[in-house]
Amino acid sequence: MGKQNNSPIKNQVLMSQVEKFYYDNGIVRKFAIATTVWGAVGMIVGLWLALELVFPSLNLELPYTTFGRIRPLHTNAAIFAFVGNGIFMGVYYSLQRLLKTRMYSDLLSNLHFWGWQLIIVLAALTLPMGITSSHEYAELEWPIDILIALVWVIFGINMFGTILKRREEHLYVAIWFYIATWVTVTMLHIGNNLEVPVSFWKSYPVFAGVQDALVQWWYGHNAVAFFLTTPYLGLMYYFVPKAANRPVYSYKLSIIHFWALIFIYIWAGPHHLLYTALPDWAQSLGTVFSVMLIAPSWGGMLNGLLTLRGAWDRVRQDPILKFMVVAVTAYGMATFEGPMLSVKSVNAISHFTDWTIGHVHVGTLGWNGMLTFGALYWLIPRLYNTKLHSVKLANTHFWIATLGILFYVIPMYWAGWTQSLMWKQFLPEGILKYGNFLDTVTQILPMYGMRAFGGTLYLTGAFIMVYNLWKTAQQGSFVGEEAAEAPARVRVAGHSDGYWHRWIERRPIQMLLLSLVLVAIGGLVEIIPMFTIDSNVPRIESVKPYTPLELEGRDIYIREGCLGCHSQMVRPFRSEVERYGEYSKSGEFIYDRPFLWGSKRTGPDLHRVGGKYSHSWHFNHLVDPTSTSSGSIMPKYPWLAENDLDYSLIKDKIRVLRGLGTPYEPGYEEIAEEDLKLQAKMIAEELRRDGIDYEGLENKEIIAVIAYLQRLGTDIKVKQQAEK
Amino acid sequence: MFRYLIQSQTHDLNWMAIFALVTFFTIFLVAIWLVLVRDRAFYDHMASLPLDDSKPEKANQDEA
Repeated sequence: MGKQNNSPIKNQVLMSQVEKFYYDNGIVRKFAIATTVWGAVGMIVGLWLALELVFPSLNLELPYTTFGRIRPLHTNAAIFAFVGNGIFMGVYYSLQRLLKTRMYSDLLSNLHFWGWQLIIVLAALTLPMGITSSHEYAELEWPIDILIALVWVIFGINMFGTILKRREEHLYVAIWFYIATWVTVTMLHIGNNLEVPVSFWKSYPVFAGVQDALVQWWYGHNAVAFFLTTPYLGLMYYFVPKAANRPVYSYKLSIIHFWALIFIYIWAGPHHLLYTALPDWAQSLGTVFSVMLIAPSWGGMLNGLLTLRGAWDRVRQDPILKFMVVAVTAYGMATFEGPMLSVKSVNAISHFTDWTIGHVHVGTLGWNGMLTFGALYWLIPRLYNTKLHSVKLANTHFWIATLGILFYVIPMYWAGWTQSLMWKQFLPEGILKYGNFLDTVTQILPMYGMRAFGGTLYLTGAFIMVYNLWKTAQQGSFVGEEAAEAPARVRVAGHSDGYWHRWIERRPIQMLLLSLVLVAIGGLVEIIPMFTIDSNVPRIESVKPYTPLELEGRDIYIREGCLGCHSQMVRPFRSEVERYGEYSKSGEFIYDRPFLWGSKRTGPDLHRVGGKYSHSWHFNHLVDPTSTSSGSIMPKYPWLAENDLDYSLIKDKIRVLRGLGTPYEPGYEEIAEEDLKLQAKMIAEELRRDGIDYEGLENKEIIAVIAYLQRLGTDIKVKQQAEK
Repeated sequence: MFRYLIQSQTHDLNWMAIFALVTFFTIFLVAIWLVLVRDRAFYDHMASLPLDDSKPEKANQDEA
């Protein structure tokens, strides 16, 4: 234990009565199995996605398996199913041992576990069906959001109940990270899921346009921060010392970087919206705080790596330490790259490209994946009271996984730079060299192929791990109830030495409240002015609400996940204005619920596509993209031309949107259907004139999608005014 | 020069961001000072917490 034999703390502890109890390993095993299973599922879906970009027909030409619908399936599986279960596996194991007590309630433990798996199953069912809010990493619709909140509260009660009945008076640093995670995820989940239901499976967000974008990325970046980072830092602070059998390098550093990290991280959200219609002051805050974030992030990385000082020879033999070293190193790389990507001049190149995807996967494959693997290899033998079945296989997994990360990430950097520079290149005559967007896509297909190879390697390593851990479990004997003994808790009265942090470490509720205050500040400063200061979102008189038909088309666009490949945000660069048209203004999005600015351009930006192509071009392109764009990797959407448009909810949609501030006339919902049919008839007539004609054409979903696409970006007529 | 640094280009909201930044740095510097001046025994105890699983004396497992 402690290095000094005459510690007053140790003397106090020795004087109190020793109590016997049992750690609950059953719940840890449940979460460990779930981590492994969902990890494999999430990675398989990811690989399938990667291959669809190279071989589009792999989507089986079904609506449920198009890239747009299963991309959120992959992100949700990777983040909430794989990493989520990994968090709980690590928290339930470490919390009991750091506090020297069993979990507060076995019932709550199991409700938490089964509730979380139910959420994942519901996600797996609803996302391929196109039931989505389109908010990235918060796609699940409102009934599942409520379930998430319930399960999260159950987890919180269980965790805080355990903390309150602890035998160890002081809270180790890992537990502060768990507390900060819980309170911040609660705040983020509520903030980004404020929505008004239209039906059981459809809702509209309270916020629109620019505000919606800011709230979404306040959430989105902090889902990274407080779901992918802080809980895993907590796990790092427990499992790295355990695996290395040495204490953390600097406890002082852990105190400083914890408070700095949770305060600064929240402000970083706007770095997802650089050079967009978000007000400049908000973008600048995002950049500044993102750059500042290097310091506390690297504090954590250094603490993790330097814990191994003097033990580097063991890293050579021990695959667990290898996984952990690569994990912490990848964390350092990602937390340097992230701030660099937040600098506007770098972001001007990287945004909407595969560089962002590469960056994400350094973090998820490197930091989250490798640390999870290391923790699993460490945990499972101990749960089964045996040795790991094969150290050689674990080492093989390590090298395959590391190579997999390299083969994933390097092609993505290459693809990102290639595509971005092609987008920006002009001929001496002043016109775009690659005016056809498709040229920039076909150029990077080989990189997509290499990325799929990298993903295959990573997945293969995961399968090797599954086999190794299964054989380990078979050879051992599961210890469901692990005997332990520890002195009863010694309550320390007051803080006689006046040291404030020692005081707060004994008080989990105060720790929770102070964490909440710190994480709330960034959101409040950035978000409140967006709503109170009209000048932040200038109104444009000519911008009108969507017609009923356009609204239905927009909802189909959301259903099909078009957002996954197409952006709707023309940035104020000469190359973008030349390619797409006038750059996007914040006032154009005031009725967009939800906003659809997008994060990635696998296909071109669509914000100014309205009026550029004929209705028949859109019809043919949607049914078979290769018919208008030879070599396109966009999926075919023939069902849009076959399925009748379901507009049974249009009245409710109009009512809800009017309630949220969209200026539909009172009573408009009563004539909305009539307007919808009239507009559909006009579009169908034009299609017939171009030779596209079949029975019931005006009733099909594709008419609504065409109406929506033809509306995009037409509310302002800048070029026409200039010509006049 | 400082006047230009402090003045916002677009509006007068910067006081909120500056206030938060100043608050953060103040607390940060105070935390660093408090951390640096405190006794080592406490840090040693806290840092070693993960290494003690409170297993019964007779169940002496090899953690390495």
